[in-house]
Amino acid sequence: MSCHTVSRSFVRHPLSGPAGRPRREWRVCSRAAAVALVIACGAVRTHAADASPEAIDLVVDLLRDEDPGRRAIGVEAVRHGVRGAVATRRFAELLAQVDAGRQAALLAALAERGDVAAVPATTAIVAAATDPAVRGAAYRVLGTLGGAAEVPALVGGLAVPGAEQAAALRALQMIRGPQAAAAIREAAASMSQPPATRAALLRILAERRDRAALPLFVTAAAAEDGGLRRAALESLASLGGAAEVAGVVQAVLAAAPGGDRDVAERALVTICTTNPGHPAAAERFLTRFREASDTEREALLPALARVGGPGTLAVVDALVADADSSRRRLGLKALSLWPDASVAGRLLDQLGRTDDAAERDVLVGGLIRIAPRPDNGLNDAGRLDLLRKTMDLCRRDEDRARVLERANAIRTIEALRFVAGYLDDPALAQPACLSVVELAHHQKLREDHKPEFTTALDKVIVTAKNAEHVERAQAYKAGKTWERKKG
Amino acid sequence: MPHDAATLDAAFTALSSWDWGADAKPLTTLDAAVVAAHGDQALRADLERRLTALLGSGASRGAKEEACRRLARVGSAASVPSLARLLPDRDLSHMARFALERIDAADAAAALREAVASLTGPLRIGMVSSLAARRDTESVPQLAGLLTADAATAAAAAVALGSIATSAAAAALQAGQGDPCSSTGAAIADARLACAESLRASGHRDAALGILRSLAETAAGKPAARQIELAATRGILACLDTAAS
Repeated sequence: MSCHTVSRSFVRHPLSGPAGRPRREWRVCSRAAAVALVIACGAVRTHAADASPEAIDLVVDLLRDEDPGRRAIGVEAVRHGVRGAVATRRFAELLAQVDAGRQAALLAALAERGDVAAVPATTAIVAAATDPAVRGAAYRVLGTLGGAAEVPALVGGLAVPGAEQAAALRALQMIRGPQAAAAIREAAASMSQPPATRAALLRILAERRDRAALPLFVTAAAAEDGGLRRAALESLASLGGAAEVAGVVQAVLAAAPGGDRDVAERALVTICTTNPGHPAAAERFLTRFREASDTEREALLPALARVGGPGTLAVVDALVADADSSRRRLGLKALSLWPDASVAGRLLDQLGRTDDAAERDVLVGGLIRIAPRPDNGLNDAGRLDLLRKTMDLCRRDEDRARVLERANAIRTIEALRFVAGYLDDPALAQPACLSVVELAHHQKLREDHKPEFTTALDKVIVTAKNAEHVERAQAYKAGKTWERKKG
Repeated sequence: MPHDAATLDAAFTALSSWDWGADAKPLTTLDAAVVAAHGDQALRADLERRLTALLGSGASRGAKEEACRRLARVGSAASVPSLARLLPDRDLSHMARFALERIDAADAAAALREAVASLTGPLRIGMVSSLAARRDTESVPQLAGLLTADAATAAAAAVALGSIATSAAAAALQAGQGDPCSSTGAAIADARLACAESLRASGHRDAALGILRSLAETAAGKPAARQIELAATRGILACLDTAAS
């Protein structure tokens, strides 16, 4: 069976559709015919026999035609018919002779055609065309069919913001072959490229999961340009492993506290807790920490604490037990940043021992953060119990308010009872109102315990000072849903 | 269901007084007998004889329709005269055609051709459709003559010629091609497209190209015939592309 046997209905069914586009009945014909089409076309693509000159001439004429219906037939033939490199070159040569709209349509068809013979003419269009839509379509062709030689043209497209940049970016993500990846790395390392372009290229390499680019990311993480550094660190967060820990640690140490330090810490924590091989990365981080100076340790400890683990806990315990108050505070801060509830006992214990206001702030903050987290290793009852204990140890209403606001993360009727108990407390009624409406937002929980929720919502309606809380309480009481306002 | 003579006799007896809504058991028995007749010429001939006899009896319309259904499977030239007699019958014509379309005998086609000559209106259109279903090449001259009949008959004749899709059918369609914007002209053009498609599929590329180029030329510059022109263009391209592969 030939491909054309299946395409018989091209003749039988003339046209339909607003643009006079030929109906492609084979798409709705029997499954067997569709399978036959795939097999037949696959065979044709593999052999890529050149089509007859007559067929090529006809398609060229159709592509030049003023009638959109006839042009559509030509474009369809470029996509799926009239095979061979000779035909592809003839069609691609037309790019230089037609207007921008036809160029874009032809380029899209050439990309789908999948014949590399279209690449030279497409590269020429990138150099000559000024229409962003045409250039974007050309980038798509180069991304689909091109290789290393086309990377510079695509890198050039990254400099033009908007659709053209998006098309170039997508093309660089798609372009195939080891040489193409090497060419992207080379461009990303080139100091002659603007930092913004280099940053975009780093993100493209990360998107391509190009592990060969990891040394490049590490180098760029120490770059002068902030955008480039950020791109490098985000790429390291995406791909980095144990080998990159030293470089990222250096980036944390070099970054000023605040924005850059946060990005670097996030990368380090992700590498040590999430990426493949994270236990080895965490071990390497801990080793590096042990070798660090006191100043460096102070900078690295927040990230190390977020990684957690027994080795780190030993370090933190030693700091907490240290007679030096500044070292002890460092240890307590680390405990408060712990990723799970395994240190809850330590936090409660330390809270019971200290009267130092600053230390209590850190410890209560840690407990409030850890207690209701769904990934802290405790069940709902355990999380609420920890939150109650924290509440008992709070000495300031602002801390108690934070406990009440966090309680709505535990979606149980016991959590409602806990927060509803504070609705009559003038100092804590408002955060309690917030948590009641947040818990009531969950329809099943609300419907399963309707009388209790109704009582609590009635109290919110008369107590809440925030108009939105009142509105929500009224809606939930009436069994309605409430949509959060966007923005 | 096991088949034996007594059961079959009982089924035919029941069928002679059977009508729509009655117990379908006799039909089930007949169906089992039809299946059993595969490879059993004697049984097949016996069934055909009894079914044909029922067509000439005073049985109900429902019983005769059921007989036609089974004659479509076991019928031969022997049952054609009985079926042909039903062709002018407004109630049974379509079921008689149902059988005649499927009976593998030249007499069946001949009966349909004769009916085309003698009938008019919707019944004649039915005969034309059955000849198309049989792809009866001998009916081409007769069908060509109908291209100038009323619009419905001409359209049916055009579709039939498009289905037959021989060089003679193509020539008849070309000769009958009028203004492609008229209803008959559009039907003929569509039939010519179908004809070209069949010819190309069977390896007659040049014949197909000739039809398609002529069609494209006829439709060119006529907005109402734009679909025909575009379809012909697609066909031409498919033919030329076939040449390469």
